[in-house]
Amino acid sequence: MEGLFFNVNSGFLEGIVRGYKSGTLTQSHYASLTQCETLEDFKTQLSATDYGNFLANEPSPLSTATIADKATQILVDQFNFLRSNSVEPLSKFLDYITYGYMIDNVVLLITGTLHERDTHELLERCHPLGIFDTMPALCVATNVEELYQSVLVETPLAPYFRDCLSAADLDDMNIEIIRNTVYKAYLEDFYNYASTIGSTTAEVMHSILAFEADRRTINITINSFDTELTKEQRAKLFPAIGRLFPAGNNVLAKADDIDQVRQVCENVGEYRSFFDNSASAQSNGDLGDFGVAAQLEDRFFRMEVHLNKLAFLQQFQYGVFYSYVKLKEQEIRNITWIAECIAQDARDRIHDFIPIF
Amino acid sequence: MGDDYPTLFRSEQMSLRQFLIPTEVAHDAVAELGELGNVQFKDLNPAVNPFQRSFVGEIRRTEEMARRVRFFESQIQKEKDVVPIRPLYDSSPLVTVGPSAAHNIDELDVTLAEHETRLVQMNDSYKTLSERTRELVEARHVLRETAVFFDKAETQQTDIRTSFDDSSAPLLQHDDREQQYSSTVQFDLEFVAGTIDRTRISTFERVLWRVLRGNLYMNHTDITEPFVDPATGTETRKNVFIIFAHGDALLAKIRKVAESMGATLYPIDANADKRSDSLREVTARLEDLETVLYNTGLNRRSELLRIGENLARWQDVVRKEKAIYETMNLFNYDVRRKTLVAEGWVPIRDLPMIQMALRHATEESGTSVVPIVQELRTNKTPPTFTRTNKFTEGFQTIMDAYGIATYQEVNPGLFAIVTFPFLFAVMFGDIGHGLIIFFAALYMISQEKKWARQELDEILGQFFYGRYIILLMGLFSVYTGLMYNDIFSKSLHIWHSGWDFPEPGSNGASYAVSNGHMYPFGVDPAWHGADNGLVFTNSYKMKMSIVLGVIHMTFALCLQLPNHIKFKRPLDIYANFIPQMIFLQSIFGYLVVCILYKWSIDWSTRDTEPPSLLNMLIAMILSPGKVDATSQLYRGQGFIQVVLLLLAMVCVPWMLCMKPYFQWKERQLIEGQGYVGLGHRNGGPRESTDEVLEGEEEGNGRAIVEEMEEEHEQHDFSEVVIHQIIHTIEFCLGCISHTASYLRLWALSLAHAQLSEVLWTMTIEKFLGLSGIFGTIALVLVVVFWFSATVFILCIMEGLSAFLHALRLHWVEANSKHYQGEGYLFTPLSFAKLDEKE
Repeated sequence: MEGLFFNVNSGFLEGIVRGYKSGTLTQSHYASLTQCETLEDFKTQLSATDYGNFLANEPSPLSTATIADKATQILVDQFNFLRSNSVEPLSKFLDYITYGYMIDNVVLLITGTLHERDTHELLERCHPLGIFDTMPALCVATNVEELYQSVLVETPLAPYFRDCLSAADLDDMNIEIIRNTVYKAYLEDFYNYASTIGSTTAEVMHSILAFEADRRTINITINSFDTELTKEQRAKLFPAIGRLFPAGNNVLAKADDIDQVRQVCENVGEYRSFFDNSASAQSNGDLGDFGVAAQLEDRFFRMEVHLNKLAFLQQFQYGVFYSYVKLKEQEIRNITWIAECIAQDARDRIHDFIPIF
Repeated sequence: MGDDYPTLFRSEQMSLRQFLIPTEVAHDAVAELGELGNVQFKDLNPAVNPFQRSFVGEIRRTEEMARRVRFFESQIQKEKDVVPIRPLYDSSPLVTVGPSAAHNIDELDVTLAEHETRLVQMNDSYKTLSERTRELVEARHVLRETAVFFDKAETQQTDIRTSFDDSSAPLLQHDDREQQYSSTVQFDLEFVAGTIDRTRISTFERVLWRVLRGNLYMNHTDITEPFVDPATGTETRKNVFIIFAHGDALLAKIRKVAESMGATLYPIDANADKRSDSLREVTARLEDLETVLYNTGLNRRSELLRIGENLARWQDVVRKEKAIYETMNLFNYDVRRKTLVAEGWVPIRDLPMIQMALRHATEESGTSVVPIVQELRTNKTPPTFTRTNKFTEGFQTIMDAYGIATYQEVNPGLFAIVTFPFLFAVMFGDIGHGLIIFFAALYMISQEKKWARQELDEILGQFFYGRYIILLMGLFSVYTGLMYNDIFSKSLHIWHSGWDFPEPGSNGASYAVSNGHMYPFGVDPAWHGADNGLVFTNSYKMKMSIVLGVIHMTFALCLQLPNHIKFKRPLDIYANFIPQMIFLQSIFGYLVVCILYKWSIDWSTRDTEPPSLLNMLIAMILSPGKVDATSQLYRGQGFIQVVLLLLAMVCVPWMLCMKPYFQWKERQLIEGQGYVGLGHRNGGPRESTDEVLEGEEEGNGRAIVEEMEEEHEQHDFSEVVIHQIIHTIEFCLGCISHTASYLRLWALSLAHAQLSEVLWTMTIEKFLGLSGIFGTIALVLVVVFWFSATVFILCIMEGLSAFLHALRLHWVEANSKHYQGEGYLFTPLSFAKLDEKE
């Protein structure tokens, strides 16, 4: 039945977003992008794609930051177009997408204020999708309580922060804990929300969000080795969703080294590949945990892209909107990576991006 | 060589030419050819990435120049007072060919860069200055508004204080009194004042209230005039705010929040004297700054004016340069990299002009090496190039929209010039409406020069583009209107009518009596208003549309013939054209003859009833040979109909089998002589070696060989058969459905006539009888309404629908009879077209 009436409110936007999606760069685009000698070439190449001449009015010495900014701006414009044309429940769903960015921005601002950075500089670095108008006032706060009472209480993030009000002082460690607690709450909330808006959306979003949760769980585990974080605290940060939950999470909460993490991942078919080569890399080189983590991150991104691509296989659901934003974000990361490699003449690493289509 | 005159009948004869152009002349030669607009260059290095081509550097440079020019343009557009841009035809051209070309371009590049830096500098200083002015203006506002506030507060303050005096502890009384005596009222509350964006004020207030837990007193007022950002021209509206709070920590917090929310703070003294002092100071500084700002603005404007003088020709040059280098990127270098090799399609008729242009380019550039043009043999289909002028352009576009004619095919666009307006007019026949659109078109044509230069909006632009079509449509509508004797649904009495109406009889009806006159042209006006008038026009228009339809289809079918002769396909004449013609004529041609025959007979003197032709046609196919004696049209009808039906029946297998059979036989013959198609059996490897071998032999002539390979048509026998079956079925069914389709001529012309009559009777006719002053006013009003309805509903809406149907009759009914439309358009490098595109 949802499929029957889906197009009444969201058919137009789904069409739009699928159109946007067909504009993402393909393998051949990347192939020609990687051949570029200079950023000028890069610009010429990009102007033949859907990006068009978005750089045409930039004065000549291009910087990678400009490219990334302009590309992000395109994504933001597209997103805002979708958002302003959407009605409930899609508009709420799109809002949920922005919450993730809002959390990032909040954490960025708090960290920045803690290290006494310039506020305006910090504001510029915020992701444009996660900007809300009381955001600048975050700089005043010195503890979580104040943060919550003065600014966050009226944002949609308020319920997520309610759980971590106990953390008294703001230091790097606590901020990290806050970030993860908040993100955990966000993911769980999004997961529940996705269940309420139709079975197809739920199905698609659950698989993506479950992976997102697992990724965070694994990351938290690996990052908390040899830190002050107690195991009980660690367990609290794990999102209560995902494919590793609950048994895997329990093991991870007690894990002490990376091998235990690997064993947990072995239990889920799709995650088995995460540690495949890293084992051999660890044995013959001294990459250590850091190297594994870096490689793992890359695999996570690949997995994310893969899951988001799958979202486009189903029609009459909202997952495509989420996936489009994520894929486009990945594409911008790719473009920036290639541009950076060209700018710094690091040709040997230019192929280390994650192709989408 | 081609025919003597350029003709619309067939597209131009084209030839693939190779140009060998010395590198130093290349730029000038391409420039000349671009001005000429006659050569469509081919991409000789399709495998090369766009940024690996030879002239990327130059393109990049022109792009940079184009960016600068765009920057100037946007700056000029943003300027509030209009900066005049001298139009291109008015400014002296910048020489970009010849020996000084490179120098000129360099100079232009430098000039553009200079102008840009100057403009950017001026913008910057203008911006900083206006920023400072804005700050000062804001400061002034803050001072004024807070002064108002303080003044108000002062009067209230005393009240509060007196009340304090009465109730509070007497120990403090002394202090209080001292304060009261002092000239100014001292505030023990400290405050922050400044300005903030109006949209943010509520958020700001909310955040502050929460941060300070309500320990503040905030007041704000609107600044009435908006602040205009000089760079973007956007307006922002701001508010002055003043916040009272107690304690340094709180004030610091307020300051921090305010700053992060984008507010600007101004130090304001609580002392009224100091405030007025600083107000005076601010005003004085503001005056100074405004003079400076004014001068800077004046300078900037004069700079923009200077740029405006030249902008149009800069744009022109940059655009052309870019096109030239993009074209040169399609070329190939020869082995020694001394000459550029280009290939392109050229209309044979224009070859002398091209030669001239190339020679001219050589002379201009001052070298003696003339570019060489040589013909390349190819079996690739050349592009279709139909030369049009402003009159034929519209009609040709109508046909091109259906499909571009195959090279040298008979072009239906030529015949559309007459048939299109005619079929339109059959549906639109009304003298009055025809005249309206005729004069509308005439007006557009008279404004042609002026309108062609300016940008028209989308809808008007389309009408303007089709102005000559509309002109002819109007003219033909007047003609058909005369035929139908319709002018705004009334009829004209030009000649003596052939019918008299005697006094009405007993039942009030009057029967027309023939008076021996014959109305010489068009429908007798006596039919108008007659009870059986509609029955008459109905049957008349229906038959007429069948007659016109069959004539139109026959004509379209005949257009096959010149194609078959031109392309030497005698088999198609015998196997397609002749049976198709017989099929069409034996059924529908016969129907037309019957219609004409039936019209020519005076049925009132015959003893038989006039037969229904529709039933006759159905009976002819369903029960051949049998004709009812009561509905017989002529003697021997049964026999003739059987013969015609047999003829049509024979044509079907004829169309179906003859062409495939002969092709099969021909192939047998060829194979019988021992020839075997190489391409089919072991073609793959052989072809590639061919290519390599010939490539080695001919060096840079490889491009020619590659083309030849592409065009091997697969003569698969089954394909021919299937194609022929589809073709036959389509034609036979098409004949029936297409003939019926022409009935839309009848339907639309009837609808048009009825609609205009309804409009007349519902509006004007009711008010014609009224007398007196109100009657006149009502009549005037109703005439206005009637006229606008006539224009909008009958002329524009009905006209568009008739246009659509005429279009369909051409595209589907006529074009399917002969038109292949598999060509591709000739798109030459042309600077003139470049301008149009912008």
